[in-house]
Amino acid sequence: MHDDEKAVTEQNPADWIIAIAARRDRTAFAALFAFYAPRIKTMLMRTGASADVGEDIAQESLLTVWRKAAYFDPKRASAAAWIYTIARNLRIDLLRNHKRAKLYALQETVEIEEPERPDTALSSAERAERVRAALSQIPEDQVRVLQLSFFEGRAHGEIAEKLDLPLGTVKSRLRLAMSRLRHLLGDLS
Amino acid sequence: MTITHHPSDATLAAFASGTLDEARSLVVATHLSLCAECRKAVRAFEHLGGELLDELTPTSMSAGALERAMAQLGQPEMILPVPLDSRVENFPAPLAQYDLGSWRWIGRGVQWRPVAVSSAENCRVFMLKAAPGTRLPRHRHTGTEWTCVFEGAFRHDLGRYGPGDFDEADESVEHNPVVEDGVPCICLVALQGGIELQGWMGRLLQPLIRI
Repeated sequence: MHDDEKAVTEQNPADWIIAIAARRDRTAFAALFAFYAPRIKTMLMRTGASADVGEDIAQESLLTVWRKAAYFDPKRASAAAWIYTIARNLRIDLLRNHKRAKLYALQETVEIEEPERPDTALSSAERAERVRAALSQIPEDQVRVLQLSFFEGRAHGEIAEKLDLPLGTVKSRLRLAMSRLRHLLGDLS
Repeated sequence: MTITHHPSDATLAAFASGTLDEARSLVVATHLSLCAECRKAVRAFEHLGGELLDELTPTSMSAGALERAMAQLGQPEMILPVPLDSRVENFPAPLAQYDLGSWRWIGRGVQWRPVAVSSAENCRVFMLKAAPGTRLPRHRHTGTEWTCVFEGAFRHDLGRYGPGDFDEADESVEHNPVVEDGVPCICLVALQGGIELQGWMGRLLQPLIRI
């Protein structure tokens, strides 16, 4: 976390999305923009996009947050996860040439309603906390490989080259991190 | 529906992060539409994506970026009902977005139907319908072959694959699937690279190579 954004992160981004949905709160939008736009730009640039494309996707992501704020359901997703999926979907559309509207709709398959289990449902804060805890339990070297693979979509060979590691080590670290995560996140729904 | 074969964690993570190509994403999405366990895993990976996003070092936006965004803020959307169970010909929902060709015979007991995936690179997506008892020739792949079963079942060295099951075969796999007795086996396949046929039965699959 960065000091200059402390004021932002000490509040709950989920509340800002809800404020936008409830009363088109422009202050809440500015706060979300300040925190997420620069990070979405970084995310896009990590996957090989130019700074301009990163900036465009960041802008469009936050505008989508504004338009679709009413769809945000804190019971289903943390604000970070929801905004992440919006940026991811815009990136998928960009990669697939806009030949067809909403190709990322494939990713929306996971939005199928699950049966209600009110007694066991986690709040978004609990869910986010659990993911954070799971991540913190994974050794740093495994997290790095996980980031490069998951987040940046790099092939195993590319990661090995970048980190100057044997291919086998990359593969085993990734496998370890994945199974660890899966185990730690097992009950997350 | 009891599903025993699922995509690997690496595959589910790649789907969740949007780094999987469209052809294979379609087969994974088809499995997800049938498998609550894997939907749960994908949501967990999306939460992971959110956490990783929060942890990224910010890159400054250009001057005036926020003002430009603010100037574009229009009316938020009202919530519209989303058809959750839009199905096409009883096939799982993800396929509904794609144009399907007509069924064509490609060998004894085997029909093939192309699925138009525009951005497939070196990858073909199609449905296969094989009559009960059909024995496909022993073959191996030069790339990956991902399959999701809709109806019926087939077996090969690695087990039985029934409705909802996901078969993630790569170049290390050499198999000759046999369709179970009873009903025809219908599945969706994303085939990357080519197929290397083993033995004279390979003639049966020959038309597939030209797909």
